[in-house]
Amino acid sequence: MVYRILEAFDKMFGLEQARAHCDVPCGIYDPIKAQIAALTVVRMVDLLNDKLENHGNDNGSQPDAEFINSVARYVAVKEEHAEECKHEIRVIMGDYLKEAHYQEYPELAGLVLNIMQLGSKSRQTADRETAVALVEAVNRFAEIFWATKGVETKRATAPYAPSLETVYPVL
Amino acid sequence: MLRVIRVSGESLFPSYQNGDFVIVSKIPYFFARPRHGDVVILKHQQYGELIKIVDGSRTHGDDIFVVGMHPNSIDSRAFGPVRRNDILGKVIWHIKKPKK
Repeated sequence: MVYRILEAFDKMFGLEQARAHCDVPCGIYDPIKAQIAALTVVRMVDLLNDKLENHGNDNGSQPDAEFINSVARYVAVKEEHAEECKHEIRVIMGDYLKEAHYQEYPELAGLVLNIMQLGSKSRQTADRETAVALVEAVNRFAEIFWATKGVETKRATAPYAPSLETVYPVL
Repeated sequence: MLRVIRVSGESLFPSYQNGDFVIVSKIPYFFARPRHGDVVILKHQQYGELIKIVDGSRTHGDDIFVVGMHPNSIDSRAFGPVRRNDILGKVIWHIKKPKK
């Protein structure tokens, strides 16, 4: 009875709402986007180095418009994906990981910080070693993420360049 | 002194369900701090008005730790404790949505 009265009142005048808030879409988290973004950073560094090497062989030191365009695109995509990698990790950290996860995996807090720093350094430089370290740090993050869900993981070489070892869930 | 609020979302499921109504009052907190297990309405800068449960074991002074029941609830485990001033009131009456 009381509910019906309040419901009618709500329809007529619109009562305040308090959200019993879950993230949307609820429970859908996956580190694969961060992993692909990290792999893309390495790929862009490789393409950048290839371009520079070929340019040196073909045209001496004189850059042309095609060369500048390609290099600019590689750098832009590297920037974008390094930031995307950091963003995806931040989303999982903020919306999914709880205090209990940090207690169960004491390396987690340091690992997330390391990913943030490697992501930033990958934007600042074209250092392949840093980009590969980013891939490996995100791989480890993926292993822990899936472990929190009780899902086993395996390591396999990604079936595309830069063909680096990548963590996948065993589903 | 009293506010009627409709619950939206499932983070307090199964106790509180989407569409339930609650009567909320600030009066219980005029002279006492929120206590462990209180269901409260709070104002969060990012998420707006939320309904959560006070976790007294992790509440320190005026830093109130609030949680939901759902594993993916957005609560103090994600955004940290809230200030006592952010608590708009205590749920003093829960009017459940009738079962069909």
